[in-house]
Amino acid sequence: MRRNLWLYRRCLGAQLRATLEYEGDFWIMSVAALLTQGMGFVFLWAIFRAIPQINGWRFWDVVLIYSLVALTEGVAVLLAQGAWTMAVTVNLGGLDTVLVRPFSPLLQVLSSQIGMNGLGNLVLGGSLFVAALVHVHATWTPVRIATAALVFACAPLVKIGLNILTNCSAFWLKTPWSMFPFAFHTLGELARYPLGIYGLAVRLVLSVVLPYAFMSYFPATAVLSLGSAPWLGLLTPVAAAWCLLLGRWAFRRGLTRYESSGS
Amino acid sequence: MTALAAGVAPAVGLRRATRAYRAMSRAAFRSLVAYQTSFLFGLLATTLAAVAMLYLWRSVLAAGTVRGFDWPAMRAYLLVAFVAGSLVSSYVDYRMAGRIQQGDVAMDLVRPVDYQKSRFAEALGFGVYELGTGLVVAAAAAALFGGVPAPARGGVVPFAVSAVLVMPLRFGIVYVSALVVFWTRNYVGVQSARIALVTLFSGGLVPLAFFPGWLQGLAAALPFAGMASTPALLYVGGLSGAAAWRAVAVQAAWTAGLWWLGRAMWRGASRQLTVHGG
Repeated sequence: MRRNLWLYRRCLGAQLRATLEYEGDFWIMSVAALLTQGMGFVFLWAIFRAIPQINGWRFWDVVLIYSLVALTEGVAVLLAQGAWTMAVTVNLGGLDTVLVRPFSPLLQVLSSQIGMNGLGNLVLGGSLFVAALVHVHATWTPVRIATAALVFACAPLVKIGLNILTNCSAFWLKTPWSMFPFAFHTLGELARYPLGIYGLAVRLVLSVVLPYAFMSYFPATAVLSLGSAPWLGLLTPVAAAWCLLLGRWAFRRGLTRYESSGS
Repeated sequence: MTALAAGVAPAVGLRRATRAYRAMSRAAFRSLVAYQTSFLFGLLATTLAAVAMLYLWRSVLAAGTVRGFDWPAMRAYLLVAFVAGSLVSSYVDYRMAGRIQQGDVAMDLVRPVDYQKSRFAEALGFGVYELGTGLVVAAAAAALFGGVPAPARGGVVPFAVSAVLVMPLRFGIVYVSALVVFWTRNYVGVQSARIALVTLFSGGLVPLAFFPGWLQGLAAALPFAGMASTPALLYVGGLSGAAAWRAVAVQAAWTAGLWWLGRAMWRGASRQLTVHGG
């Protein structure tokens, strides 16, 4: 285990150095990430100029949810972007090399790429996150601070687990494109807004079937004591563990189906 | 004899060129239909985003009219914007950028057809399929969220003109941003930056009327408004009379302007292209 984690860190470090070699690309991707996330913020700001609140959620409450999605995306892109390479790797038979190395195949796949837009997402998500925490109406008791630290730290793991799970579809679909997991990624972006705005079916999907809401909405409800059941947010660590286990399970099931490319 | 040949040749050349472009449109359409799984998952992604917007606006407008929009009008606005946004959605620039990065674009330079017109012909071919699927999704969403009012009376003619202009206008911005790859050699970043700017300033998510005055003025003068806001506003009757025609004129001016900008960029780009041997 310790050796696996050490190797994981070393692989990511190598990817980071490789990424920074392409300085122009790095800046273009960072600016693009800032624009993409900044656009969402301007969108919320434009809406809340016209109305004071949506279903009891004020501007900075919603910004907190939104910033958690951006932060989560940044963390996932820096630590586990490799999940998105699975479609190509499986299609071209690239897992052959991975499987003969004495290092957890899943961690090898996860650390096989690092997204250049990660830093832009972290910078903007982090700024919005801090600004939202300053502006929300909450009294910061020690218990609340401890809760916040716990649920916010676990939130990105939910997304990483679900990314692995959806990208494992590569073992079954066998196409070199990641459009299928990308559709689910877009589904996850529905968790940028308070869950209460959606119909029952969407709420069930986002909180139970593919619990994307645990990367943003539920942690925020627990910390802000908002929404119909704030205590649900305390389950974020459980949801994170569940999603990671699901991802690992799907990867192992997938490996038993993997049949290389025959060349 | 020579005079006769000189008179006939351009007409023959034109006919031959038209046939070539039509073949390209057909090929583009067929390639999209042949590999439609990937396209349909992409469409599913944009549909989910649109559904999220519909839910969000339903909650925002639950209390009543905001900035002149009630819930049925907003539904219509968002769905027209969605269909407009589904045109020229990714294939043209994706292909162009790939060929520029790989150097295959050198082959395009020696072909006896105009590069920009060829890409436009392909965009039209893709567009038929994109428009069809976009309309189906919009109709389904409209049914799910309780129908959409008919287009505003009196605004039908400017709406029709504006709707026809959406495709060439969107092509202009997509084409120009794909040519940027000649200089940046990066495509994903340029594309996502372009999508962010277009999504926000086209009014596809939030009508420009929700922006403060200075930002509204800026957005109205930029090419983006014509990509969603103008046709959507004309549909719901948010623009009428002289204001309607002024917005359509801005749209038409940008369509022509971006076409010529694309021409100029192509001339500059093809001069500084580096293709590695092999």
